[in-house]
Amino acid sequence: MENAKRSEALREEMELHLAEKAAELQAEGLTLERARAEARRRFGNVGRKQEESREIWITRFWSELGQDVRYGCRTMIANKAFSAVAVLSLALGIGTNTVIYSFMESILLRSLPVADPESLVVLNWHSPPPRDGSKEWVHVMHGVQGMAWPGDKGAMVSGMFPYGAFETLRVENPVFSTLFGYFNGLNRNLSIHGQATSASTEFVSGEYFRGLAVSPAAGRLIDTGDDRPGAASVAVISFLTSQQRFGGPSSAIGQSVLVDNVPFTVIGVAPPEFFGVDPAAAPDLYLPLHTNLLVDGAQAARMYPDGNFYWIEMMGRLRPGVSMVQAQAVLAPRFHQWVAVTATTDGERAKLPALMLNPGAAGLGSLRRQYAKPLYVLLTMVGLILAIACANIASLLLARAAARRREMAVRLSLGAGRFRVVRQLLTESVMLALLGGAFGLLFAIWGVRALTFLLSNGHENFTLHAELNWNVLGVTAALSVVCGLLFGLAPAIQSTRPDVMPALKNGRGGGPRRRAQHVLVVAQIAISFLILVAAGLFSRTLNNLHSVQLGYARENILLFSLNARQAGHRDTEIVAFYADLRKRFEAIPGVSSATLSQSSIINAARAGQAIRGPMKIGAVTVEDARVLAAGPRFLTTMQIPILTGREIDDRDQPGSRPVAVISERLARTYFENENPVGRSITLPDEKRDLEIVGVSADVRYGGLKNEEESAMTVFVAVSQFSSDRVTYALRTSGDPLRFIQSVHEIVREADSRIPVTNVITQAAEIDRTISREITFAKLSKGFAVLALLIACVGLYGTMSYSVARQVGEIGIRMALGAQRGAVVWMVLCRVLLLAAVGLAISVPAALSASQLVKSFLFETQPNDPGTLALAGVVLLSAAMLAGYAPARRASRIDPLAALRHE
Amino acid sequence: MGRKAQKNDSLPGSLDMLILRTLSRRDLHGYGIVQFIQQSSDNELLIEEGSLYPALQRLELNGWIDGAWGVTSNNRRARIYKITAAGRKQLAVETRQYTKLTLAIARVMGME
Repeated sequence: MENAKRSEALREEMELHLAEKAAELQAEGLTLERARAEARRRFGNVGRKQEESREIWITRFWSELGQDVRYGCRTMIANKAFSAVAVLSLALGIGTNTVIYSFMESILLRSLPVADPESLVVLNWHSPPPRDGSKEWVHVMHGVQGMAWPGDKGAMVSGMFPYGAFETLRVENPVFSTLFGYFNGLNRNLSIHGQATSASTEFVSGEYFRGLAVSPAAGRLIDTGDDRPGAASVAVISFLTSQQRFGGPSSAIGQSVLVDNVPFTVIGVAPPEFFGVDPAAAPDLYLPLHTNLLVDGAQAARMYPDGNFYWIEMMGRLRPGVSMVQAQAVLAPRFHQWVAVTATTDGERAKLPALMLNPGAAGLGSLRRQYAKPLYVLLTMVGLILAIACANIASLLLARAAARRREMAVRLSLGAGRFRVVRQLLTESVMLALLGGAFGLLFAIWGVRALTFLLSNGHENFTLHAELNWNVLGVTAALSVVCGLLFGLAPAIQSTRPDVMPALKNGRGGGPRRRAQHVLVVAQIAISFLILVAAGLFSRTLNNLHSVQLGYARENILLFSLNARQAGHRDTEIVAFYADLRKRFEAIPGVSSATLSQSSIINAARAGQAIRGPMKIGAVTVEDARVLAAGPRFLTTMQIPILTGREIDDRDQPGSRPVAVISERLARTYFENENPVGRSITLPDEKRDLEIVGVSADVRYGGLKNEEESAMTVFVAVSQFSSDRVTYALRTSGDPLRFIQSVHEIVREADSRIPVTNVITQAAEIDRTISREITFAKLSKGFAVLALLIACVGLYGTMSYSVARQVGEIGIRMALGAQRGAVVWMVLCRVLLLAAVGLAISVPAALSASQLVKSFLFETQPNDPGTLALAGVVLLSAAMLAGYAPARRASRIDPLAALRHE
Repeated sequence: MGRKAQKNDSLPGSLDMLILRTLSRRDLHGYGIVQFIQQSSDNELLIEEGSLYPALQRLELNGWIDGAWGVTSNNRRARIYKITAAGRKQLAVETRQYTKLTLAIARVMGME
């Protein structure tokens, strides 16, 4: 009972006492005042008496808890097998929940490590879909550097703006104390003391650090004076970079570095916990916005005045007292006014972007958009597993409650309060749960690491760092206690219910408890089925993805990227440089061929095409063909068959006649039965005619999940097109990763300013594009095994118990001539019945729940009958297996012994 | 009150017994218990009235008495205590011990 209530009652009692005493004394002739004083004197110190009483309750509480805990320990030790099963299944249940929750915490809940993150807002816009009925792009956004993502009802949402919009919103802003801009500068060549590495870069406006309210770890941060054309070129580096490259923050200040061969001076180091505004990224380098004029030259200069090119992102800090809604109301019309001017046609005017503010406390939402839904799916699965585990322990406790009914009866009849006994039982179950939680935490430490590894899937600078912080630990502890109460309450109440005591005393009976156990088993089976179906669907999806016909080699290929332009190489010479390197790689013993291309085939769609717009063959426009710029021996290295003619080779030089190799599908579609070799294809960019020199087999261009199967491909010579960053591919004998050392040596020898980046095998690069599916398949398989295991233990326990209760009945049946087989069958029938009821409940649930994960599936229907059937068969076999041991035991009952016992 | 009444501290723990004994006769509220003890001892025993309440709490927590809100003879809301079965057993135990103890003391003092 709550102490506050008790205190209040005590106070009232004491007051009454004093009043009555005073009244008595008054009746004896004292004045009212004297009577009151006398009553108080005789009573003693009221405050101290209250204190004494309180002490009695509190010591009582602790001593009872101590008793309960000691008693609980003894019971746990006495029932080692039961305790082990309970703790283990809880540990797995709570552990998996902790792992998934710690990821959710880091992705969905954690705020940016800056002062007052709640007042930050992100500026986004949304507009109707840009493509019209005939798939033409009609939108004021003519070009974009960055991301747009789908919003509600096909709308387009993005955080990119033209520079003009930033300037317009920045001046005299009544709702923001600061408005700052930035854009992702991707990877740049950062050369320090002649040592080059690839560094992720963020270009930030002068207000960026002030707006985020970040203080430097050393030196000073970029301010408005640094961010204008012609200012001294300065840089701020991340804390980690300062440690790795300069040996500490203070020694980095004042050093000069080269960024893509342009000199910068390091003026400051960002604080260690700072990672910019995007939890998905952690820039090594922060440069003033306008220094992109130095680093990117003319291309950057074109971006500033272009009102139709979207490239800068914005965040603002609300003035005190201004809400996000108010800010949006002020800024949206201003943006509308500005953007209306940039529209040139009615079509563009009809779907102008509208400004939309979003909370910025947690930074940009790219990680949230990417992982939120998968994490909710996983959280549901682990939540269900925990439910099975709890049901399991509840059912074991119910069975044990029967074994302990005498103990309970004795304790109740000796005058122990029912509340007291329930409390003691609950203490036991909470102890089990806490022990489970503790082991679960150990499991979670391992699990977080394993899942980080799975999700990152080899990505360099993977920024998703989940950790077991106090928040997560608190949730785990709370979860354990709630679980303990949840699975302990029902058995505790039932085993101490006064009206069932007489029934329990004479043995058999126990109807309600058995029913409760059956309900629990059915629920466990139903939940296991859901998880099995999920595992089946995700595994099928992964299988389908793995059996996608690529058309090129997956194994024994090493990929890595170089960017010579960022190290200062220029046109014409750069081609010779790349060609020379290719020959040197090919000369490595164990490398049978080497080639280069604008990107790996799997990433070609994401890397962007070398050429945009429709190509023509004669007067015919080629629809949907993709262009991949490739170097000599590309088809050989990738093991793409050459059907006629030749592949691109060393003869194809910048000055010679431009050539192309087309894929079979393209050849068949546009040349039908003619030989395309010797014919030409026209590219849109400079109206260049390419001579077709060969036909290759079809390849799958871009990722595995692309809708258009094996799109038509045009290979052009990488030497005849401008190439900045190239990806080399080496065909190796044996493990490709063994050749990394040789590659580094060759590149260092050729030009030590060029870092080798994105070193990976082709197989891993392909798997990386389906890392979510791989993670889902692996995790859900693990979860399914876990769920099945726990449910089977529950089923086994329930059936063993029920057989033990029926020894007499089975003995009679056998004495009357029942065969052993018939007894086994009788028990198995009951198992099957429970499983069937579980399935009957679960199938409709699975059908509707699987619709929710439809977007995670590939070439698999959510109601895939094969998967459902397989899940059902697995479940039934597991149930039979779990039920067989008790059934066999039932058939071994000696009728004589059983009846004598009766 | 001519003679100074004796304070009940000569026999520690005997307060519990007195309360249980009182409640075994009839259900009473706190003040009623004090009055009853004083009257039935002809005002020989003067218990420190405040001490009654921690003692009542202790007895209730031990499950020997049960308190419930009720109405006193002069119609005031009060917690009325009644003795439980366990309380009666306890009273028997304590009475036995007390009798043993006083007899022993009386023997030593040569008063028997």
